[in-house]
Amino acid sequence: MTRTPAIEIRQLSAGYGGLPVIEGIDLTVPPDGYLGIIGPNGGGKTTLLKSILGLLPPIRGAVRIFGADPISGRLDVGYVPQYPEFDHAFPISVWDVVLMGRRARRGLAPGWAPEDRRAAEQALEQVQMIDHRTDRIGDLSGGQSQRIYIARALAAQARILLLDEPTASVDSRIQESVYELLSELNRDVAIVLVTHDVGVISSHVKQIACLNHRLYTHGDQTLTADMLEQAYQCPVDLIAHGVPHRVLSHHHDDGCGEDCVSEPGEGDPDDPGHGPRTPDPGHGEPT
Amino acid sequence: MDQSFTDLLALPFVQRMLIAGLLASVACGIVGTFVVVRRIVFVSGGISHTAFGGVGLAYLAQDRLGWAAFDPLYGAGLFALGAAAVLSSGWIRRRMREDSAIGALWVVGMAVGVLLLALVDRSQVRVQDPVSILFGNILLIRATDLWVMTALVAGIGVVVALLYKDLQILVFDEGFARLAGIRVGAMNFLLLVLVALTVVVLIKVVGIVLAIAMLTLPAATAGLFARNLPAMMLLSVVLSVVITTAGGLLSLIWDLPPGAVIVLLLTLGFVLAGAVRSVLVRSS
Repeated sequence: MTRTPAIEIRQLSAGYGGLPVIEGIDLTVPPDGYLGIIGPNGGGKTTLLKSILGLLPPIRGAVRIFGADPISGRLDVGYVPQYPEFDHAFPISVWDVVLMGRRARRGLAPGWAPEDRRAAEQALEQVQMIDHRTDRIGDLSGGQSQRIYIARALAAQARILLLDEPTASVDSRIQESVYELLSELNRDVAIVLVTHDVGVISSHVKQIACLNHRLYTHGDQTLTADMLEQAYQCPVDLIAHGVPHRVLSHHHDDGCGEDCVSEPGEGDPDDPGHGPRTPDPGHGEPT
Repeated sequence: MDQSFTDLLALPFVQRMLIAGLLASVACGIVGTFVVVRRIVFVSGGISHTAFGGVGLAYLAQDRLGWAAFDPLYGAGLFALGAAAVLSSGWIRRRMREDSAIGALWVVGMAVGVLLLALVDRSQVRVQDPVSILFGNILLIRATDLWVMTALVAGIGVVVALLYKDLQILVFDEGFARLAGIRVGAMNFLLLVLVALTVVVLIKVVGIVLAIAMLTLPAATAGLFARNLPAMMLLSVVLSVVITTAGGLLSLIWDLPPGAVIVLLLTLGFVLAGAVRSVLVRSS
């Protein structure tokens, strides 16, 4: 037996009012894992996240976070929520938001301890936002505030980062920089991210799973063209519901076929399949 | 003018007015900041109006039971705390839309107050003019009121100082608060308890009906400029001290109802601040 997995899910069924939204989920994420979960809206992504966070008791099966139950394992999980709406006028500084990550460890004791400040400072440095510590969070751009929420999770000294649509509200250039940051952070923490953005995750993650009521995993940690085929195939009909078709066709039409997706490396940011593309007259729009 | 002004300040009731304005400003600056950013202005309105029922109850208890020590402020506090408990109870929240519950409580409190006051034998008990209960009168504050207000403001200050970290997380991001191990239900209740206590502090100054104004306007004005919650609290305390003092003095000089003058000045301040801010934003 090797190391305890960061996340271990066995035969999990979870849902609301006894009706399972997700069923028969088996999933193992190693401590250095980087899992991308794709799937249509209503496929159960939120339900799975809530189960991992211990916010939703399972109907059947179990979730283990570093061998512990999800509620006591919560200290190990840094959750980075999706923030489509938030009050941009809210008077709070970046620094105060990152310090919030320390609450789970600090408990009810009033104020913050020196080690809380150190951890917050370190987290801000990790996401390269230390110069913005006195900024009001509402004044930051989408990508910058995403980094702050990642820093808040890191300040908690989480060993797993759980991200819900991390790049939902930022443009593609910023998206790329967020993913580069995540690949860097993946040296120290396990990462699970949920997205509908098939194109972006394929170049960074080590594991892909498709969630639509059931979880279709492609267990191997290296990403092969074959696996991608499978990965994209299984949600083909899902994608038809939840994700615009062009996300899928994108891959086939941009001249980046199996050659470049077959060796994306461990989150290599320079993956030619996903860097800036030069227009190739040989590959026009599909007719 | 200077001479008459210092004479004015030497009057005990003017001094009480100044102290009351300060106490009310501290309470509404601290708690009002949470009310404004948490968007629970109308929850607070429900709590303050419910308090009127308690005023009626206190007078009736003085009359029928001879409880002379049962001050209307205590009755108001009792009802306000009850409203806070009802509005944060899971039982109600699961069965009723929040705004319906607020509306119901709001009018029930007022109706109960009117009904109970009608039952009081006014030859036995001296009932304060209902207008000054509803709209306040900072010029009628007694020394005993000041003691009650001081105790409440001290209590509010201590609770907020001890739990500031959790309150800040709650009002900014409730979902995160839950994950971070904060007991969100209990903290929401605590916040409404703070609102209830603040309402009691404000009753003598601006009255039950106008309490939401003091709970909202200074903090909202400060929120136009403040970059963090402590700054918003401090700025709203300062604004509110200046305006309640000015309002009290003006109403004294011109013989106008102080509660109304204070609320209109607060509104004027808010509008002017909004204009100043839009000019600042445009020029930057």
